[in-house]
Amino acid sequence: MIPVDLLIDKILPAFITFYLVSLGHSIFEKSGILNLAIDGIFFAATGAAILGAYLLLPIIPYPPIAGSVLAVLVSILLGLFMSTVLTFLPISHGAVGLSLQFFSYGVGIILGYSVRMRYGTVYQIAYTREDVLELLVISIVIGLTLHVLIEKTKLGVAIRAVGENPHSASALGVKVMHIRIIAAIIGFALMGLGASLFILSWQRTWDFRQYSQGYGWLAFATALAAGRHPIMLIPVSLLFGGLASTQTDISASLKVPTDVAKLIPFLAALILMLVYSSTGLRKIFASPSSLGKPYYKEEKSI
Amino acid sequence: MTSPLLSITGINKSFPGGVIALDDVSMEFYPGEVTAILGENGAGKSTLVKILYGIYSPDKGDIFFQGKRIVIGSPIDAIKKGIVMVSQIPQLIDRLTVAENLSLSLTSVGLFESMKNVRRVFKEISDKIGIKINPDAKVWSLNYTQKQLVEIARAVLLDAKVLILDEALTYLPVEERRKFYVYLQRFKEEGRSIVLITHKIPEALEISDRIYILRRGKVVGSLVRENATLEQIRELMFGEAAKLITYERFSNPYEIQVGEPIIQVENLVVEGEYGEIAVNKVSFKARAGEIIGIAGIVGNGQRELLEALVGLRRIRSGRVIIDGVDVSNKGVGVIREKGVGFIPDQPLRYAVSAENTIVENIAALFSRQQVVINWSSMIEITNKLIKEYSIYPPNPNIHVKLLSGGNIMKVVVSRELEYATRALLAYNPTRGLDEATATFVRKKIKEKAVGDKVSIVFASEDLDEVLQLSDAVFVMNRGVLYGPFDPVSTPRSKIEELMVM
Repeated sequence: MIPVDLLIDKILPAFITFYLVSLGHSIFEKSGILNLAIDGIFFAATGAAILGAYLLLPIIPYPPIAGSVLAVLVSILLGLFMSTVLTFLPISHGAVGLSLQFFSYGVGIILGYSVRMRYGTVYQIAYTREDVLELLVISIVIGLTLHVLIEKTKLGVAIRAVGENPHSASALGVKVMHIRIIAAIIGFALMGLGASLFILSWQRTWDFRQYSQGYGWLAFATALAAGRHPIMLIPVSLLFGGLASTQTDISASLKVPTDVAKLIPFLAALILMLVYSSTGLRKIFASPSSLGKPYYKEEKSI
Repeated sequence: MTSPLLSITGINKSFPGGVIALDDVSMEFYPGEVTAILGENGAGKSTLVKILYGIYSPDKGDIFFQGKRIVIGSPIDAIKKGIVMVSQIPQLIDRLTVAENLSLSLTSVGLFESMKNVRRVFKEISDKIGIKINPDAKVWSLNYTQKQLVEIARAVLLDAKVLILDEALTYLPVEERRKFYVYLQRFKEEGRSIVLITHKIPEALEISDRIYILRRGKVVGSLVRENATLEQIRELMFGEAAKLITYERFSNPYEIQVGEPIIQVENLVVEGEYGEIAVNKVSFKARAGEIIGIAGIVGNGQRELLEALVGLRRIRSGRVIIDGVDVSNKGVGVIREKGVGFIPDQPLRYAVSAENTIVENIAALFSRQQVVINWSSMIEITNKLIKEYSIYPPNPNIHVKLLSGGNIMKVVVSRELEYATRALLAYNPTRGLDEATATFVRKKIKEKAVGDKVSIVFASEDLDEVLQLSDAVFVMNRGVLYGPFDPVSTPRSKIEELMVM
């Protein structure tokens, strides 16, 4: 039996963080852009979260929401840059994504460092334990809504169409740029929100060295392992979030180094991907066909 | 005289690298008429329709719709004006359902709306024009004809005033094509305009009222159907080269001595892109000096079959034996090593590296075993091929991306024919080549089979080509191979029936 404290303080906040970040990442990638900036975006949003919360601390009594809002805004800005540049110019998604990642690490430090130096802990600006259940409900509702949006509505169809084949989608009448911008706004808003909860609900501490811990990449692996499927992301996020938040407990009870415990989610992601691609499951969980392919609007072909 | 529904004046378009695709092109399209645009490959037909549909923008020139000057910035602009294009390769998204694909074009469907209304309208239209397709079927599960039917339904759904058919019917067998003509007739009667792009003269003569002929980006002829003849159009399209074109058989089957079996295929099963069975228990034999032609509409497993034979696609069950050795799932290296040439579909994507020069593309195959490439001998081979196939420009060190589509195809065909010492596998070996060059390539293939006792297996969507070249004809439909049939004595209608049943 899992102790309630462990659940409320660690596992659930970790689940919510991973679920929202990997959900946003999945929606964005469904539009065909490979998001290699995820870890940088994640860190930049954490910096924005504490900055936003502390800035408004003297004005409003309960500031974590302000932190989340600023994190969402910063994340959306970075996402809009990425999606417009990669749709407008036929350049490598990898190069832009990784450059943006390192740029965003810098943004995160600029936003968060001075606040951290001034205040130290983030307990006074964090979400309360009672909020965790509310956040849980909100996250699941967002996930279910997005599932319906992606599967049933025209907007969802357009996002999938652009990810499958932007040329055909455009010929059918989709404005590729518009759709990718919408996907970026939804996706990066969720990534920003999830990252703000990493600081304001789960870790309750901010340190510039957190950028080397790769929690963003773990969300990346979560999305891969769940085939970018909003419902499938729920159990996978719970599993990976659970593992990540109880690493120390696991390594202590199994007597393995923490670094080995950290490997488990990535290993699981690799195995699940192998299973998807070699079985009938790929029909549901396959990556978008044009994911990561530069988009040339005018291409001379035979 | 009625005024044109759509007209273009002085359209110019050039591409990076100095290729002039269209040079001062003016045309008029009238309501209630079918206008055909004919031209050999590289004449600029595709570029022109892409401009009309908002995929490319012209460097110069104007487009007028119902007398007003318009700018078409994107396909959705065109659709809103009532200009709809159906192309040779269905522009549908395979992983989406029919209804989902259609919803993307319908401006009446809101972003947050479900597919319910689309399904309903599609049903209505389907009943009206008499097609039976499940709106919830995934597009990948449809065959080629069904996909084109969906595209036509889409045009009706969008209330198209100008319907552009970019080689959309060219690869359909006559019977199926006739069915489409019924819809087109009705379209015309409602005062709509049809623009038919094709490189097949008979198709244009069958249905059009007015014919424009493009050559090297210029309009070289404008004819009314009643006065047009096949010979006259050929002359305009090809000039001097028109005399070389022939669809006569090169020889009767087995006039030459065929030798021992080189390729043996037994109960081959291969999966397609979506895990479906693309090749279903296929067996056949190809002997030295023999040409096996596989007819069929695109997407019936021909590509998967050829890719499995050359080792590019995994074989689920069954065997491929080349020269007595089981090469099933042994990989492309082992199979190529046996002297097997391969001409894939979409050569620009799968057969050459556009960023490299001609000689580098030749060396990639001929020097694949060498650690250090002997460039002087590679240049020698390249120069020989350039001369033999009159590849233009005749410079081995030019980048492939700067060649025209037809010349890229010549590089691929010449390289693979030169390399093939035992067998040649080919898909649409003359696709994208104009009639004159295509005739030349087919002759070369025949010479290779007869002269070097090479076994040739090719699939083609062009039935004329299959009948001209093959010693034995097969038909592939939904993964099943029917045949062999004798190309001379079998009635054409029987083969066409098998293609579409």
